[in-house]
Amino acid sequence: MDRLSASREGQTGYPISPRVAAAPSGRRRRPSGEAPPLPRQVERSTVWYVAAAVATVAFWVGMAVRPIFTGVTAADVAVLRGLTQLRWHPLNATMEQISTIGSGLAVRVLAWGTIGLLLVVRRFRHLVVYFAIALVVAVVAAGVSQVLGRMRPTDVTILGSWDGYSQPSRPVAALAVVLAGVVYTLIPRGRWRRRGVWGAVAIIGLFCLARLYLAVDHPTDVIAALALGWALPVTVFRMMTPDDVFPVTYRRGKRAHLDLSGQRRSAIVKALDAQLGLRVTAIEPFGLEGSAGSTPLRLLTSTWDGDEVTLFGKLYALSHLRSDRWYKFVRTIRYGRLEDEKPFSTVRRLVEYEDHLLRLLRDAGLPTPVPHGFVEITPEREYLIVMEFFAGCSEIGSARLTDTEIDRGLRIIRRMWEVGVAHRDIKPSNLLTRGGEVFLIDVAFATVRPTPWREAVDLANMMLTLALASSAQQVYSRALLQFAADDIAEAFAASRSVTIPTQLRTRLRNDGRDLLPEFRRLAPQRKPVSIQLWSVQRIGVLVAVIVAVLVAAAMLAAFVQLAGLI
Amino acid sequence: MSSRRHRSLPVVTALATAFLMPACATVGPSAPACGTARRLAIVAQSVPTASYVPCLATLPEGWEVTRFDVESGHTRLSLAPDRGGGRDVDVELSAECDVAGATPEPARSPGARTYLRLTTISPRYAGTLFDVFAGGCVQYRFDFDRGPHIPLMEELRDAVALFPRRQLELDLRRTYGVELNVP
Repeated sequence: MDRLSASREGQTGYPISPRVAAAPSGRRRRPSGEAPPLPRQVERSTVWYVAAAVATVAFWVGMAVRPIFTGVTAADVAVLRGLTQLRWHPLNATMEQISTIGSGLAVRVLAWGTIGLLLVVRRFRHLVVYFAIALVVAVVAAGVSQVLGRMRPTDVTILGSWDGYSQPSRPVAALAVVLAGVVYTLIPRGRWRRRGVWGAVAIIGLFCLARLYLAVDHPTDVIAALALGWALPVTVFRMMTPDDVFPVTYRRGKRAHLDLSGQRRSAIVKALDAQLGLRVTAIEPFGLEGSAGSTPLRLLTSTWDGDEVTLFGKLYALSHLRSDRWYKFVRTIRYGRLEDEKPFSTVRRLVEYEDHLLRLLRDAGLPTPVPHGFVEITPEREYLIVMEFFAGCSEIGSARLTDTEIDRGLRIIRRMWEVGVAHRDIKPSNLLTRGGEVFLIDVAFATVRPTPWREAVDLANMMLTLALASSAQQVYSRALLQFAADDIAEAFAASRSVTIPTQLRTRLRNDGRDLLPEFRRLAPQRKPVSIQLWSVQRIGVLVAVIVAVLVAAAMLAAFVQLAGLI
Repeated sequence: MSSRRHRSLPVVTALATAFLMPACATVGPSAPACGTARRLAIVAQSVPTASYVPCLATLPEGWEVTRFDVESGHTRLSLAPDRGGGRDVDVELSAECDVAGATPEPARSPGARTYLRLTTISPRYAGTLFDVFAGGCVQYRFDFDRGPHIPLMEELRDAVALFPRRQLELDLRRTYGVELNVP
């Protein structure tokens, strides 16, 4: 095998492959033009829907030109004449009944039902998009019909009742948009949604057929309404509430987790092979309940020597980035900017940061997982970070802790203080024990050069976590071996309900002992550290939130009026 | 920073559109003017028997159209004069109307008869003006402040005219090749 020339005498250089092209498997650079492991996919029907929407706009513009208007009307009337030839008197009443499917009442029931369900299941993004798109469809339909001012079909007998100008058919657009809302905000992707789409298509198709049979609409009125009421909303739902990021699901538990089967599974295997040279033989979700900020998974890999190694991975996507933003945003409003609450700008930055922190903490000698880097699944949208898997460990607190384990837990905080790092999420599920060793995991929230307040909070949370599996007196006495009494006093002066992670707070509540007051009694008295920080920015954000709530209320009122929901 | 803006753009656009659209939608409804056969056709379709259809002749200064609803059976439009005391004039085309108790007035169009029924003359000037013609009728319900009611009644008469259906049929056939009447 050839070797790269050594930079210094005595060195042997690095082995390189003699082949010009990249190896078919194993670590390799993705050449320009090659798709990423999981390319962002646009469904073919979306392309058609966009084309239909664009064509409809062009059609409306064309209808302002007299020859086009005349030609289209002549063609429409010819089609309607053909349909009226098929009229059969006994069928007329049935068609009139079918045309009531799109009545105001039916549309209102569907729309309010969808809104109510979205509120119940707290799917707010879908709700906002649904509001917006229903409003846009209602306004565009009303606006275009006013501008075009198209008459109802002429030269044929109209059997049913009608309301307003005919282009586009507003009842068809209204029924289509509410059904699109039902299908894309309430029905989970997959078999049920496919059935839902076919059901909606059948209902809308029957409704359109009835309206054409009764000659209350021109054929082009119906087609334009379908483009506006179905093609546009479906495209918007797919763009703004993609199922990968905002899945429609009714499963209990955290919703932040991504599906690890199908195309994503193949993409993960491919990415780990090409980017990290890891041959994955098995992927399984792991510890989903303990993580809301990523999708944790366990990877079984085999080395080129045939050994099997288990690794831990965390899959990050846009949904996790958005969760992080909301979390930090709410904290900024509730408590002010206590520390660095700036959200990450991209998924790549988020995963780069965690990888950096893992390496930093490893270099500092802290008992954190060994980093193995991260891979790109979909550029700027999905990344997987890989690290050591602590096999055979148990969560701290599953057994009573020894003095050694308590010391090692406290030593982690001491070392982080020395290095200038705060973990910011010290809780039982992030502290593992194995044979007297204590390990610290999930460093995604960690920060370098933290505020003194945050360092103090880390110590308080560690002591509370350790005390859950021992006693406040025992932990306090061990802590005095590594920390000054004033440090401990500061830690519990800075500690509040809000500074304690939810899991730890729950455990403390269930424990029954008043551990926090007990620590405060043990430590020297100290005035509480204020955690409410007021700044111009916080006031600005508060004002913006109030304005946003008012805007939302105005939207709701406009929606209710314009979409004819009352 | 720019990429973040880029990503949130669709949601911001949707929200902004949703919020701003109502403002666009509140731009006054456009009732058909007398010369626009294409727009006037639907008014004629609403009452297929009516030999005349109401249309906007010249909207006097200070008046605006606040509503225009057309559906099978009737057409309604509302006009709001700025000096009318805050109450709109409601104009309705229907197949028939009850003119009992109304007083005949000089006809506003050949082939039509005009009636006036006042419900009060003081402190407000309120009532209904009727244009009755073959196969239809137009009612104008008004309720003006006393004082400016005389010029307002004149302006109302000028604002809404009656357009002959036969002329409309001719215009539509000639201009758009459309037959308004069912064969």
